[in-house]
Amino acid sequence: MKISSSQMFRNLNKWRLSALTILLLAGAFNSQAQGGDLFKAKCATCHKVFDDMTGPKLYGVRDRWEEGGAGEEVIIQWVRNQDVAAAMNAFANERISWSGSAMTKFGNQLSDEEIISILNWVDEQVVATANNVGPEGVIGGEGDSEESGLDWIWYVVGGLFVVIILSVGGVRRQLKSADAEASGGTFNASMSYSDEFKQWAWINKKYVGFGGLIIVVGVIVTLFLGLYSIGVVEGYQPSQPIAFPHDVHSGLNGIDCKYCHNSVTESKSAGLPTVNVCMNCHKQIKGEGEQVAQIQKIYDAAGWDGMKYTNVTKPIIWNKVHVLPDHVYFNHKQHVGVGGVDCAQCHGDMTKMNETAKVRTSEELNAVKENIEGEINFTKPTLTMGWCIECHDQKEISVGPINTKDQGKNGYYNEIHKRLLSGDKALYSEYLEDNKVTVKELGGWECAKCHY
Amino acid sequence: MNFKILGGLVIAVSAVLLGSCSADPDSAGLEYMPDMYRSPAVEPYVDYGHIRENENVDAKMRLSAMTPPNGTVPYFGTDSTEVSLMLPYHRKANNDFRQSHGMFGEELSPASINTYELAAADKNPMKMLYSFEVKKGTTDTTWTNETLASGKTLFNNNCSHCHGEKGDGNGEMMVNETFAGVPDYGNLTELSDGQMFYSIYYGKGSMGSHRSLINKKEIWTLVHYIRKFQDKAYGDKGKAALDTDPMDGQDPMNESDPSDAVAPE
Repeated sequence: MKISSSQMFRNLNKWRLSALTILLLAGAFNSQAQGGDLFKAKCATCHKVFDDMTGPKLYGVRDRWEEGGAGEEVIIQWVRNQDVAAAMNAFANERISWSGSAMTKFGNQLSDEEIISILNWVDEQVVATANNVGPEGVIGGEGDSEESGLDWIWYVVGGLFVVIILSVGGVRRQLKSADAEASGGTFNASMSYSDEFKQWAWINKKYVGFGGLIIVVGVIVTLFLGLYSIGVVEGYQPSQPIAFPHDVHSGLNGIDCKYCHNSVTESKSAGLPTVNVCMNCHKQIKGEGEQVAQIQKIYDAAGWDGMKYTNVTKPIIWNKVHVLPDHVYFNHKQHVGVGGVDCAQCHGDMTKMNETAKVRTSEELNAVKENIEGEINFTKPTLTMGWCIECHDQKEISVGPINTKDQGKNGYYNEIHKRLLSGDKALYSEYLEDNKVTVKELGGWECAKCHY
Repeated sequence: MNFKILGGLVIAVSAVLLGSCSADPDSAGLEYMPDMYRSPAVEPYVDYGHIRENENVDAKMRLSAMTPPNGTVPYFGTDSTEVSLMLPYHRKANNDFRQSHGMFGEELSPASINTYELAAADKNPMKMLYSFEVKKGTTDTTWTNETLASGKTLFNNNCSHCHGEKGDGNGEMMVNETFAGVPDYGNLTELSDGQMFYSIYYGKGSMGSHRSLINKKEIWTLVHYIRKFQDKAYGDKGKAALDTDPMDGQDPMNESDPSDAVAPE
């Protein structure tokens, strides 16, 4: 009796399913879109189509439950309230213990049709990632080997030229001696290259002298330029363990700099994101194509095996980019929190940089919107003292958050500003010559501000 | 013949030298007096494998950014309300957070106790802070809810890329379809303050723990700010009470609880 009743139930269910399928086919496009939207809005927080996440994968869920002896109506009931579903079906009861966290009880938020449209949408999805992985990775590899191959070719070509020049020189000498013999004279065979050169130089002494002068001046200029480049780190962009694209994160996805570099408002150093910060998003975002291998490095570091944390972690070793000498004190909190300096004013526009961090050149910084608006123009190379001083001279302190109630609570700068405005009139008019109060005028050029 | 070899050598050497002059992004260039660059005192993110020409194998490649030992209480001044807000969170994470959120090496609640459900009883301990400004030459006052103002900054820095600036779950990550399944705060009205705090502190589902990014005071500030998405009038009650008689006795900086809209006596 039992068997027959459940059989009947299933048949009834099948009939209902086919009827619904016909209905859905009629308005196919509409309902599919609806299913997708509903999935993203209601289910995607915990469920993925092809992978287990907080909840199990939903692809083919109807078939799996059907095999276990639970029909579609059990699933619908489960979505509404899994405790009721568990009471009515043994398979559903088993699934209760799938994970420690219970599923949200949707109650009457979703109609039967809506739940079925979600399930239909899920089953229509096609695995898309697997096909993209292989070929792109290979292309990247080829590009690398091609580049190093080119380098090698240049050395070979250079070597060939040297051989050609030397052999032509040898032929010339032999021809000369043959010429001398033929004309009856004697060719001084003992005359070396240097003697020959001396002879030639004496004949063309004007040109040789002038050329020599140019070379000497050139060498001296190069030497001084070389000395000036000592301690200048502009353009330094060390290779990093993970090819991190700043533009995708801060540009496309609009993540604030301060989310990852979160100690910037609290501490001397801006901070590198710890791996748990990466995992806040990358637990779900596995990437496509070339990205997969890069994101896998985060998983290795976090000890994430795609399903759960394993406690086998491996630190990521980044290379430090902006290194100031030990005799300079620089504090991010002071600049970002108190001074209201935008990250881009010193680090350039990272929302358009498809690479890891780099010491930007002052030309790049001059193009930054905030610097143009704040009338800050750099002429000295980035991260040199001249560069710091230039900004302290030009940066106006009356712009930025120090004047707002929120940031000015400690009153430190407000007090200085107030004294400046209401105190010594002569001094004040001096400050007002250019009609603005700069960092320098508040002591930003005092040696001990940065060197102590 | 000697000159041939010498000439070849000179050309080869100068070629190598010229090659090394080209801008190599991996090279920071020459530095003057490297010993003045390296700090003997420990600085963040510096490899202390080499100190004063000695290689220190123990320190080499060791993590410079370390997690403080378990139970460390940071110093937050002596103001008792501030300190009590910053004391370690009294609820341990649920047992399954070890595998779902990588919380190894810390004590979790036993499997039988669901701390997330218990957290529903927690109330937001943070009182709203208002500031007021009197317009010069007039008696007009403008009130600002400082808590919600700083909540907005925190939210836009830490949450809005997923949850959206309006809290509707349509952040840029969602619009680009980079990420999926962020709920609309408007649908989460039944969520209690305590559970909201719990979810931000320990994480929930695919959201990770944010306790390393923002401290407890900031999380409670955010809980206030998120409530504002659900209830447009949230946080106005205290202000309205103050508006009735702003200058009467009470110091406006020490705000009354937003949940009780009693006028200051």
